[in-house]
Amino acid sequence: MNFFQRLQALDRRWVYLLVAITVTVPLVFVYDSPTYTTEPTENIYQMIDRFAEINERGEQRRAIFLNFHHDAATMPELFPQETAILRHAFLRGVPVFTFTILTTAAPLIDFAIDTVKREIQATNPEKDIVSGVHYINIGFKPPALYLPIILGMGDDIAEALETDAEGRNIADLPMMEGIRNYEQMNLVVQFSGSSFGQEWFIYARPQFGVNVAAGITAVIAPDTYPFQQTGQLIGILGGLKGAAEYEKMVDLFANRGRPFSRDIARSQHVSIVDDEVPYQFRVARIGMNAQNAAHIMMIIFIIIGNIGYFLQRRKEKVLE
Amino acid sequence: MFETISTWVAALLTLFVFSFLYKENPLYRFAEHLLVGVSVGYGLPLVYYNVFIPYVYTPIFLRHEFIFIIPASLGILFLFRFHSKLSWLSRYPIAFSMGTVGMGVPLALHANTLVQLRSSILPLTNINLVIIFVGTVTILFYFFFSKAHEGVYKNFTRIGVWYMMIGFGASFGYTVMARLSLLIGRIQFLVGDWLRLIQ
Repeated sequence: MNFFQRLQALDRRWVYLLVAITVTVPLVFVYDSPTYTTEPTENIYQMIDRFAEINERGEQRRAIFLNFHHDAATMPELFPQETAILRHAFLRGVPVFTFTILTTAAPLIDFAIDTVKREIQATNPEKDIVSGVHYINIGFKPPALYLPIILGMGDDIAEALETDAEGRNIADLPMMEGIRNYEQMNLVVQFSGSSFGQEWFIYARPQFGVNVAAGITAVIAPDTYPFQQTGQLIGILGGLKGAAEYEKMVDLFANRGRPFSRDIARSQHVSIVDDEVPYQFRVARIGMNAQNAAHIMMIIFIIIGNIGYFLQRRKEKVLE
Repeated sequence: MFETISTWVAALLTLFVFSFLYKENPLYRFAEHLLVGVSVGYGLPLVYYNVFIPYVYTPIFLRHEFIFIIPASLGILFLFRFHSKLSWLSRYPIAFSMGTVGMGVPLALHANTLVQLRSSILPLTNINLVIIFVGTVTILFYFFFSKAHEGVYKNFTRIGVWYMMIGFGASFGYTVMARLSLLIGRIQFLVGDWLRLIQ
């Protein structure tokens, strides 16, 4: 039995073990690697940053709406996206609504908000993020009300959503000052492993002009990009790579108090081995190191497997 | 203290699930059944307090808005699905739901088909649009079965096949990336939050 035959007969549990080691080593021994930002991710960052500038100038307030449409199974890809956007919004003072129609997503909203609040308070003690002032967690709403809520928010957000997760009347919360409908709450980001915000760009975008973006798992990313090309989605965060890109921009701009620049985002390298940057600001990019290592390993496996296959086939032909 | 206990529980359950990669075993089954039970157990009271109380109990019994009895009754009819003789009653709420779906058909057709169609017949001003145009036309011809795939026509449809293969490859690549991300997320939790090997 030669080397290639042995490989083809290898127990797949050895492959699992090798994958686990390949993924674990780059996570424990972090090395520096570049993260290239792409247009779909930059568009979302740029829009939220523009909302922050509008709010700073004291013009008509702008807010964002984060729709958590997934359960814990897709957290490794979507949670870094959610925390990166929440971090960006909280650091730049953009009001945030969080919402879900899935019971299993409700605790994930609390987890994401608490994680980011804790991080910001640890690095920036004077910055206090308060529920009802800086963000409103709508929490879980019945799926049957999804469409009425999407359409109703075009007239009056407080009337469509009524109460937040704590049972408070939304209209009475300080964050709602100057925020009435999609004119002010002009960006919806849907995080999902199965859909990419179709309800929003089917019902709300044509009628009210709301901007829609999608934070999605890599599995559905190829189906989603055509909707970015048509302009129905203003931006896309695709899987862990999208989270890593967004994380880099938050680290590079919002975290350092710098204005957004597409050129700088693309050209400037931000080190991920810098101990001064908290781990939470690097987590998705470190994850991409493991992703790269696993991809290289798989490419090698595919090449070896194909060489073995063709050698075997040639041998069989010779024997014939 | 609570955080430490929850981290340990999550880590052990993760290892239970990973043990399936070695072979099927009772620990994996325990974790699987626990996940289903916890998800349902968590969802039931949430639905009770966020749906039944504000949209059924409070309006009907406290505010005496009896109009809410109609949608509540329609909802109850769904439960007759489990009764062999009265299951036909569940068709009424389903029919009502289908009515609302009808509202979305023209809008969905516009968003998912017409807008996509429009973006694939733009003037060919750059190389990307040319690539999209050639791909769209050749793939459409590939699925045109009224003409035999022979001669020049076969070569033309073959280009469509290559486009589709590249598309499937991209989809598969993204799927691999997604599955690896799930593994990365769990290992980050195990070596970071649990074993504290990442600071």
